[in-house]
Amino acid sequence: MTHVSMTVNGRAVSADVEPRMLLVQFLREKLLLTGTHVGCDTSQCGACVVQVDGAAVKSCTLLAVQADGCAVLTIEGLAPSGALHPMQEAFREHHGLQCGFCTPGMIMTAMDMVARLGPDLDEATIRENLDGNLCRCTGYHNIVKAVAAGARAMAPASAAAE
Amino acid sequence: MALEMTGSYELPVAREKVWEALNDPEMLKRCIPGCEELERVADNELRALVVAKVGPVKAKFKGKVFLADLDPPAGYRISGEGDGGIAGFAKGGARVDLAETSVGTLLTYTAEAQIGGKLAQLGQRLVAGTAKKTADEFFQNFAAAMTETAG
Amino acid sequence: MNASTVTPIGAPVRRKEDKRFITGKGRYTDDLSRPGQAHAYFLRSPYAHARIRTIDTAAAAEMPGVVGVLTGRDLAQDGLGGLICGWMINSKDGSPMRAGAHPALAVDTVRYVGDHVAVVIAETLNLAKDAAAALAVEYEVLPAVPDLAVAQAQGAAQIHEAAPNNTVFEWELGDRAAVEAAFAQAAHVTEIDIVNNRLAPNPMEPRAAIGEYDAGDEAYTLWTTSQNPHVARLVLSAFVGLAPENKLRVIAPDVGGGFGSKIFIYAEETVCAWAAKKVGRPVKWTCERGEAFLCDAHGRDHVTKGRLALDAQGKILGFQVKTIANMGAYLSTFASCVPTYLYATLLSGQYAIPAIYCEVDAVYTNTAPVDAYRGAGRPEATFLVERIVDKAARELGIDPAEMRRRNFITAFPHQTPVIMCYDAGDYAASLDKALEMADYAGFPARRAEAERRGKLRGIGLSNYIEACGIAPSAAVGSLGAGVGLWESAEVRVNPTGNVEVLTGSHSHGQGHETTFAQLVSARLGIPIDQVTVIHGDTDKVQFGMGTYGSRSGAVGMSAIVKALDKVEAKAKKIAAHILEASEGDIEFKDGRFSVAGTDRGLAFAEVALNAYVAHKFPTSEIEPGLKEGAFYDPTNFTFPAGCHVCELEVDPETGTTEIVNWIAVDDFGTVINPMIVEGQVHGGIAQGVGQALMERVAYDGEGQLVTGSYMDYQMPRAEDFPAFKVGMTETRCPSNPLGMKGCGEAGAIAAPPAVINALADALGTQDISMPATPAKVWAIAQARVTRQAAE
Repeated sequence: MTHVSMTVNGRAVSADVEPRMLLVQFLREKLLLTGTHVGCDTSQCGACVVQVDGAAVKSCTLLAVQADGCAVLTIEGLAPSGALHPMQEAFREHHGLQCGFCTPGMIMTAMDMVARLGPDLDEATIRENLDGNLCRCTGYHNIVKAVAAGARAMAPASAAAE
Repeated sequence: MALEMTGSYELPVAREKVWEALNDPEMLKRCIPGCEELERVADNELRALVVAKVGPVKAKFKGKVFLADLDPPAGYRISGEGDGGIAGFAKGGARVDLAETSVGTLLTYTAEAQIGGKLAQLGQRLVAGTAKKTADEFFQNFAAAMTETAG
Repeated sequence: MNASTVTPIGAPVRRKEDKRFITGKGRYTDDLSRPGQAHAYFLRSPYAHARIRTIDTAAAAEMPGVVGVLTGRDLAQDGLGGLICGWMINSKDGSPMRAGAHPALAVDTVRYVGDHVAVVIAETLNLAKDAAAALAVEYEVLPAVPDLAVAQAQGAAQIHEAAPNNTVFEWELGDRAAVEAAFAQAAHVTEIDIVNNRLAPNPMEPRAAIGEYDAGDEAYTLWTTSQNPHVARLVLSAFVGLAPENKLRVIAPDVGGGFGSKIFIYAEETVCAWAAKKVGRPVKWTCERGEAFLCDAHGRDHVTKGRLALDAQGKILGFQVKTIANMGAYLSTFASCVPTYLYATLLSGQYAIPAIYCEVDAVYTNTAPVDAYRGAGRPEATFLVERIVDKAARELGIDPAEMRRRNFITAFPHQTPVIMCYDAGDYAASLDKALEMADYAGFPARRAEAERRGKLRGIGLSNYIEACGIAPSAAVGSLGAGVGLWESAEVRVNPTGNVEVLTGSHSHGQGHETTFAQLVSARLGIPIDQVTVIHGDTDKVQFGMGTYGSRSGAVGMSAIVKALDKVEAKAKKIAAHILEASEGDIEFKDGRFSVAGTDRGLAFAEVALNAYVAHKFPTSEIEPGLKEGAFYDPTNFTFPAGCHVCELEVDPETGTTEIVNWIAVDDFGTVINPMIVEGQVHGGIAQGVGQALMERVAYDGEGQLVTGSYMDYQMPRAEDFPAFKVGMTETRCPSNPLGMKGCGEAGAIAAPPAVINALADALGTQDISMPATPAKVWAIAQARVTRQAAE
């Protein structure tokens, strides 16, 4: 067992974990943050995307011990309880989800896209940057619309931050 | 997944010496990549424990090695099969021929390998490379050890 | 349209269920934990065919954290039966299908790579895996038959003793003599050979199960990723013999996609429930993606020869089909009906074909079981019909659109030669609208422009039809179904006027919580946030048949309508007493019961409260309360149909295919929520394009699965598609109260032939197999370049 400490959704957490425990297992099993999903075992589906120190990371490719000392943000921490982040709101408004399983990873990836590329995302850019996220329900059509709209809705906030 | 590999090595050692080495469990253990245990359990049968990695799957294989078609000192057939538990199985074999040359011995081999279960499922694109690398490593190790003996 | 308003039918109401999914508060099976739960890991066969000589569990049982190690012998000792196939098919000679036994854990033989050998249950999953590695299984490897093409050959290894030549049935449908007569008169015969590629369903949520046993009540609970929890309970009770239905509760909570693969009753769920009692702990299992590729039932996998007889003007005279359908190593729950009654019955397509004859052989191979996958039989039928019609058009020099138009069925009802009676449709309307949206007339100019850029541009049509809303129970019963295919609903009005709707349908992405609530809101005139839809729990919903075959709208919602009729009728009686009017004078409109011709009335909630207070009506005549249930059995299948157009460009230098335009025009009858319906169409198209261009499950010669991860099985990604253009036409379905037809599978049915027809157009050859990967397309394009250079 190895001791790890990190900040998850703004809350300091620590636990003893097996060295082979993945970050996604730590989030789901130790912290009961089950919004982050596991859809494959080869780091390709993107259902497990979270932010680690501000960058999108597939939490199934990282050991929990590798995130020691990091700040982790999951889908549960995106907006205060009861409220929706503009990106979440955009997925609802544009029907960017059906079964909802890939959705947390999609939203976290979209957040990363905005952080890297700004709020003005064209369709081709969004499609290209969704390369690491699989969805089997939507045909991506409405996810692309949702990401574009969510990014635009985030624009005033990012402008204010500059 | 079955595939075949061939290769040859020029060894500066007399054919009888090469033949002896090919029948020496200690020598084979040193040369088989990832071999942790190899002991003779019958005349032409050895028990082996080998750690092998194909792509993302790493497993410990418990298995047997058989020597057949013995034609001392001209060659034999060495084959093995290993059970990797939840990783699946691996089987392989090689026909090894030894010919006398002016420098010593020419070793040629034709090897084949087959994998199944999770190994095949995840590693199939990598198995050809891995098997070739494993065969090459074995014969390279063997050639190096033989050259050392000669030196 | 917000939550506090009444939501009319036809409005794009935003989904009620989304809030929990976008905030990470969904509750999928793997998100649940039970106190004291242990974790299961299944040891799977690494061989495609082998006899199990011995399984030594002693060392594994001694490993740290191990709670239990169980094998097929333990299952058999407890008297549990095997898994079943619930649809009986008879061969041409009248003999019943020959099904081999299908134990949940292998007893003495394994028949495909991934077959279940033993289960290890331990404190954690990692400990279970560690212990599974210590299980010693001695196999006697047997010759394997993974290849459908040779499975029936003399001398091929036998997979089940019960099925000589590995043949489960040799079935036929239609009139052979009439078809032969049609060919005798034909001016032209078009032939086609098709391999309908094997697909892995790949819902993003892998299957999972938690079994729990309450020793006090002697009752089981099974949480599982099911599209039809009641059917799972019925099978586990009546056939597997786990426990009587009243002692077995099956809960399917949020389910992350199914596409058919979560209809079936699998080994793992069965074992988890059984093992929970065995080890005295809740037992949880979550499928890894690699395991899902191995043992979730696959889809499609047909080899087909088709022959079409035509007159000189391109009128179809007769159609003859021979299909070999791969069943895999065992018959899965509904495997036998997919290549028969869900396939051959659709071979008339949208066309008036006087004579059809189809033969289907169902064959065992040493591969994973094959069963329904989005569309189930109907995509295979549509692919064949739309490919051969397109090929015939090109052979006869007729424009493919014109060819279709010449053969359309135009009068309804229309009885086809293959059982189905189409009740309504306007196929020319869909075609016209699609051609207009696609600017079909402008295509030659676009092709010429593409050619100047070095690209080969093609356009392809697909005029699909499907039979949904399966179906009248007596009819499916006469065709061999083991169950009836009605649906149930219960509408519970609470004293304060809000409503719970219990449905036997199951939502795993389709948005029932919204669409069903929208219907109730519109009908009762109450805001949609006052309607809650409950499904997926056998202790809450009395019975239901689940969701598949695009049946939840046409059948599930019809049951709700029936229950709402009863609620309204009773509420009117109560209102009549309170308003001191005669029942016949009570009108119900916009959520208000009023006396006709007066301003006297009561809001829906007032009547609800009165129903429960029961002060103002004689309870000797009217029972207190306001809760009504209904079972709805359809009187016919429904027949959604439409036209999809795919326009694409091939780069002859790389073989890559880029879809540049996609038009979908569908006739789904009445649409309750167009936003959700369009979403269903989008998703279906993506899966269909995946089949056409990317996806294929492949086994090697020894039966090893070589497409067992997302590294080797190509899933469609966002970059593979343009934005889809979706249009609608509407002919009401006459057989159900709402006029709905169903929309869940249309895209997956329509898309594959649209893509391949477009590729055939671009490449100038009909010889294109699915998936048309860049390697294949490159070879064809290069051959074409060479040929043109030579000319």
